[in-house]
Amino acid sequence: MRTLVALVLLFPAVVLSQNKVAIGIVTSLSGPMAAPGKFQMNGFRLAEEEINGAGGFAVGGRKHTVELKVQDTRANPAEGASAMQRLATVDKVPLVLGELHSGVAAAEAPIAQDYAVPLILTIPTGPGLTEQGNRFLFRVNANNDQLTAALAEFVAKQGWTPLSFIAWNNDAGRGGVNGMKRLLGETKIGYTGYFNVGEVDFSSHVSNIRAQNARAVMLLMDEEPGSLAIKQLRDAGLKTQLIGTLAMGSDRFLARLDAARLEGMVQYNAFPPNASVPRIKAFSDRYRKKYGEEAHGFAAQSYDGLMLAVAAMQKAGTTTDGAKIRDALAALEHDGVIGRIRFDAKGQASPPVYVTQWCANGSRRVLYPESLKADCGAG
Amino acid sequence: MLTSILEQTVNGLMAGSVYVLIALGMVLIYGVMHVLNFAHGVLFMLGGYVCHFIFTRVTGSYLLAIVLSMAVLAAIGIALERGVFRPLQGNLRNQVIASLGLILAIEHLVIAVWGPNALQFKVPATSALVPLGELRFPVQHLLVIAVTLTVVAALFIFLRRSKFGTAVRAASQDRQSAMVVGIPVERIDWITFALGTALAALGGALIGPLFLVFPQMGDAPMVKGLAGILLGGMGSVPGAVIGGLLIGVVESLSTLVLPTDYRDSVAFFIMVAILLVRPRGLFGVRVRGED
Repeated sequence: MRTLVALVLLFPAVVLSQNKVAIGIVTSLSGPMAAPGKFQMNGFRLAEEEINGAGGFAVGGRKHTVELKVQDTRANPAEGASAMQRLATVDKVPLVLGELHSGVAAAEAPIAQDYAVPLILTIPTGPGLTEQGNRFLFRVNANNDQLTAALAEFVAKQGWTPLSFIAWNNDAGRGGVNGMKRLLGETKIGYTGYFNVGEVDFSSHVSNIRAQNARAVMLLMDEEPGSLAIKQLRDAGLKTQLIGTLAMGSDRFLARLDAARLEGMVQYNAFPPNASVPRIKAFSDRYRKKYGEEAHGFAAQSYDGLMLAVAAMQKAGTTTDGAKIRDALAALEHDGVIGRIRFDAKGQASPPVYVTQWCANGSRRVLYPESLKADCGAG
Repeated sequence: MLTSILEQTVNGLMAGSVYVLIALGMVLIYGVMHVLNFAHGVLFMLGGYVCHFIFTRVTGSYLLAIVLSMAVLAAIGIALERGVFRPLQGNLRNQVIASLGLILAIEHLVIAVWGPNALQFKVPATSALVPLGELRFPVQHLLVIAVTLTVVAALFIFLRRSKFGTAVRAASQDRQSAMVVGIPVERIDWITFALGTALAALGGALIGPLFLVFPQMGDAPMVKGLAGILLGGMGSVPGAVIGGLLIGVVESLSTLVLPTDYRDSVAFFIMVAILLVRPRGLFGVRVRGED
């Protein structure tokens, strides 16, 4: 009898020893960035499922499972700041992952530092973010400077200058233009037009690009405005070489337009989902099995982010102490889906960058780096 | 440069046409009921959604979808006039607050029903390209301008020639006197409201296929339409037409010489500059009961 009572009393403790670790997620479930936000969440959910499906992860002899505390920041800096505050003070999470919008990330980062809660960005590309001396900010994905460095090398080699721009009027857009200017030289830059988030009419840019006889035009924006801009440029009869961002190298993007309008367009890419690299192939297969669609770079980066966070907690030997987890992150080396992730002194990782091109049949090929060059269907 | 000017003029006329469709509804309602309906932008957006829904789910005819969406929005306009604006008649402040509240209510209702993401509105019939010299424009682009001009002409004939139009003008000049001579002003109120919201729906239904249908699509056009009204002269129907088109063309042409991100500021700069010289706008009419 006594043993039975002891067993009954112990039972909840046994269940409790399967600890849940709440991890903060900031993303866009609604608002202008809800579409890419879905890819981000898909990546986190896949990682969560795999971690918990394997019975969780061990820290200090105890098994822990992951529980995601998701906050919708709606591409709005004020929402981002209050979400971050909430995660740090109410949910008391040991670390936060995610965000898509560089402007929102800039509002969240100081709060991460104030509460010593590491913030791991998986999508924002504004280069300025990791230049603020914020020890609690990390970025898994390549920033605009890194992406444009690869692209600038490629563009210069192709002789696609003067290069024109249609860019977001924010850190991501202006940062991208400035990066290309630095790399290619002021003289190689043609028309530069900025537009505000939510604008849908690109006709003024079309006129200016036509008037300048631009050799190539780079679209520094995401999927939604990107598809509108391409449609308007092509409908106006412009045959200019198009250069896009990593949001424009997916099957979903193709579905918004058509192969005829996209043919020949190149874009930098953090993750060619059809490349014959084993780690990419394995991830793409698992992703397709769960979501029934082609894997996306934003999902791969976010997947890696959560895996990295778990690795850091294991290395730090704590699931609560943000400062210790930060130190572990800073020293960690992780083989992710997107490549080897290792943060520099500013918290920026340097994953590989690719350039892919749309083929006439709606598939993609890899043009850069040379070592991974592959024909239509492998990009 | 000449090509660019031509291209931007056509683009400006297209954008301006959309401002005109919004401005006309607002100015008609303002004339009769003396209330600025700030919710006109979200009604424009709702028109786009309703047209998209009817076109993709009910009928494959774009023309029919436009007409039906105008009818649906007219019915919504009547409901709003009856349920919101008529009970608040005579209290301008509350009417303005109510119209601001409607913005939130309608926008969130749309998000609840259709979700927050932009919808693609593909109309194959109007996506063909029309060559104009070395330029090309989608049929839809020119359709927006043509339909707006037709509607404006029809509206002018209606207001000038028909008995009901005369009654509308009488009610907007002096509501009390109109009542004295036997004009049913309450009926004019709801018919004007229905007409105004139907015009907004037409705008949303026309612009949807060119760009996207999304919850914030009416925000900027509403503000520009309002600027067009102020520019043309508060309460003036021809003023709203000229003002709306002018704002569209000037802001489009401005992008040839100024950075494109200044486009919105240009529209309002022009408005302020003209109001400084002509405080009642280009066609300003003195409306009784004001100042």
